[in-house]
Amino acid sequence: MVGAGLVLAGVALLVTALPAFAQEAAREPAYRNFPWIGSRLAVWAVAQLHLNFAAFILGVPIFAVIIEIIGWRTRDPRYDWLSHEFVKLTFAAFSTTALLGALLLFLFVGYYPKFWTYMTSIFFPTYWVYALLFFAETFTVYLWYYGWDWLSGSRKWIHVSLGVLSNLFGTAILFLANSWVTFMVSPAGVDESGALKGGVWAAINNYAWMPINIHRLIANIVFGGTIAAAYAAFRFLGARTDEERARYDWMGYIGNFVALSAFIVLPFAGYYLGREIYAFNQTMGITMMGGFMSWLWIIQAILIGVLFIGSNYYLWLGMERIPGSERYRKYVPPMLIILAIGFMVWATPRSMVVTLDEARAMGGTHHPILGFLGVMSAKNTAVNLMILTTFLSFVLYRRANRVSQKPWVKTGMAVQWAVIALAAVIVTFYGVYGYFVESLVRIGFSVYQVVAVLAAIVIVMAIDIPMFKGARSTGVIRWGTIAPRSQYVLIILAVTFTWLMGLMGFARSGIRQHWHVYGVLRDTSAEAVTPALGYAANVISVVTLVFFALVMFIFWLGGLSEKGKAGAHGHVAPAIAGGSEDHG
Amino acid sequence: MRLPVGVKVAIVAIVVMGSYSGYANYIPQIESKPPQELSLEGGNVTPAQLIKAGDEIYKTKGTCEICHKIGQKGTRAPDLAGVGARAAKAKPGMTAKAYLIESLINPNAVIVEGYPPIMPAVDKPPIALNRSEVWALTAFLQAQGGTVDVALNDIPATVGAGGGGGGAAAAAVTMPGDAKVGKTIYMGKGGCLACHKAKDIPGTPVGPDLSQIAKIQTPDYIMKKILDPKGMGTVAGFPPGVMPQTFGQTLTAKEYTDLVAFMLTLK
Repeated sequence: MVGAGLVLAGVALLVTALPAFAQEAAREPAYRNFPWIGSRLAVWAVAQLHLNFAAFILGVPIFAVIIEIIGWRTRDPRYDWLSHEFVKLTFAAFSTTALLGALLLFLFVGYYPKFWTYMTSIFFPTYWVYALLFFAETFTVYLWYYGWDWLSGSRKWIHVSLGVLSNLFGTAILFLANSWVTFMVSPAGVDESGALKGGVWAAINNYAWMPINIHRLIANIVFGGTIAAAYAAFRFLGARTDEERARYDWMGYIGNFVALSAFIVLPFAGYYLGREIYAFNQTMGITMMGGFMSWLWIIQAILIGVLFIGSNYYLWLGMERIPGSERYRKYVPPMLIILAIGFMVWATPRSMVVTLDEARAMGGTHHPILGFLGVMSAKNTAVNLMILTTFLSFVLYRRANRVSQKPWVKTGMAVQWAVIALAAVIVTFYGVYGYFVESLVRIGFSVYQVVAVLAAIVIVMAIDIPMFKGARSTGVIRWGTIAPRSQYVLIILAVTFTWLMGLMGFARSGIRQHWHVYGVLRDTSAEAVTPALGYAANVISVVTLVFFALVMFIFWLGGLSEKGKAGAHGHVAPAIAGGSEDHG
Repeated sequence: MRLPVGVKVAIVAIVVMGSYSGYANYIPQIESKPPQELSLEGGNVTPAQLIKAGDEIYKTKGTCEICHKIGQKGTRAPDLAGVGARAAKAKPGMTAKAYLIESLINPNAVIVEGYPPIMPAVDKPPIALNRSEVWALTAFLQAQGGTVDVALNDIPATVGAGGGGGGAAAAAVTMPGDAKVGKTIYMGKGGCLACHKAKDIPGTPVGPDLSQIAKIQTPDYIMKKILDPKGMGTVAGFPPGVMPQTFGQTLTAKEYTDLVAFMLTLK
């Protein structure tokens, strides 16, 4: 009775206090100022850091489970070890991701209370789903990691299923968080006052949601691959034995292979995202591509150019450790020329940064010849040819130490070359034709270019796989003998891709300009100005630096438990061919 | 001395990121500032001032120029040259001003053949023009070949009632601009003196002397020339394409109005 009385008294107190709470809430400011650096910069830095870690822990398990399945089906312990290594990296970064997420939430609640109240009014039901998914993912990943030895042998299928399940939970978390972010860019399901019209699904399923889901999913795999490859490169450079060097050379190669495979299709996902932004709001699309953000895409072009050239260079250096690859060396100079020209075209701006004298000499800020390379027709052509060339590099690397024994090998190779040439002709034709048609027609041409390249990739691989099945080997890959400079290339790729993610985050956020939720909730804070690229780049660099410092610290912490233990967690690192004289 | 691997890797990472940051700081620096509000209610505004304000809104806050050109067929939207005259015959029984107002606040009511229905309502977010701004914009459109007779009362009172939840924290701009402030923009942020002389303000003779620009050119020309120097052509004897095309983005609406006000004093 006493207990019931206390509860009743508590309820009565709460009811009487509610109006007071409401008045307090009404007096709450729309914004608070974060000390020294301001609220916007605080949110920006923590959001970018959180996103980097989240991308890593969501991207790596996707290919880790695939590698585990390969090891399971082929009974090759190297893949099982590698998969475990990758998950170990993820595991170490898991709690940091969660901590940064919580910190971001506190910043929103504390410094942008009006914004957060509005977002809660729309997405409150999804918070519960998010929390449940987070629990589910955490426990599944724990079980996946700690149960590696327990669920081996005949129970391996259960272990693999846990890996698949943790990826499904992780992807669901990604999609849910994306719905909040994309709602801010392309709000849907709300009336003119910003109130939810029907169910929350309409707000989730906004214009940018699915394109961002696909884009981020692919980009996370690329990012995870580059970070894992950079980790391997770091271990390679510090290795004391040939065997260790061979192991981390192989790990770096796999990481880069994963990153490159996903990276090739990433621009297509970007096109889809861009198209949907235009479909949502033409003004937003035009502001993004031709307004104050137009120079951002030149920087993006430089970064992607570095990624393409770096990835190809790494493959070419890698071919040096493959006996039999000498016959493909002659293809490297023309491929380098195509990549270099493509890079230059893509990075050529429409309007040049020039001095007054130079402008007078050119007769304007558009160069009479190079100005033609600054438009989308030239850039689409360049990027598609670069993708095709990178794919060719990969095909040559793949068959470097293999000689096909099939009787139809000549025909097969002729068809492959013809398909690649035809795709290049289609890409170039529509690139040139694009100069003679109106922009609406020109935009449609990019679809033909993309389809030509994707079709070429599919057809060439469909021929290549059976053609090199049971091929004669010209020698074993000498893992660990790759030039050390290749490892710095892997590190540059990881740094560049992380920086690129920061830049794209700025683009996604910046296209909202002075809106928290575009067209619905205006940013009335003193920091509503969208900063110029120089300032944004400085922030991105500092945050990327902090990210890598944290990653190194976390990986170091993760490795502490294994110091002095050979084969921690029961996982004896397998020998890699070429790692020592015994295995040479 | 042999550097540890960690130090070498850190140096590589810092150099790479430094290069990207360095380049990003080297290219043109353009900020996107929130648009300012124009309030004409309760003030005495001449048709010329109204058209001038409408012209500014057309090119800046209204973002009309992104799709609509004047004297040039657009791929996304119709050419607005002569729209002031055409509007009177566009919809039977509807006056030119009524048609134009309807086109601005309910753009899908009539779609010009051959163009997609992509125009957003200008009084709704994200453009969110207020009643005064819709009035000025209508006057500007009427001035394209028609007679300006639109009054503030013609604009529905509900126009611009929304505005994005947060309410705009914008400064009011009175028309015309402040010539004194405009002079500081001419000499400072606008950087006009880098190429133009103007009375007692010395300037490199890269472009024409503007000391008597208000005497020899119309306000309309001056306003357009600042925002679209290429589109307005180049004065004979001077190199084409030198004047930046970006003042519409780099100057705020107030700075632009102030600069124009200063230029109009150069007689």
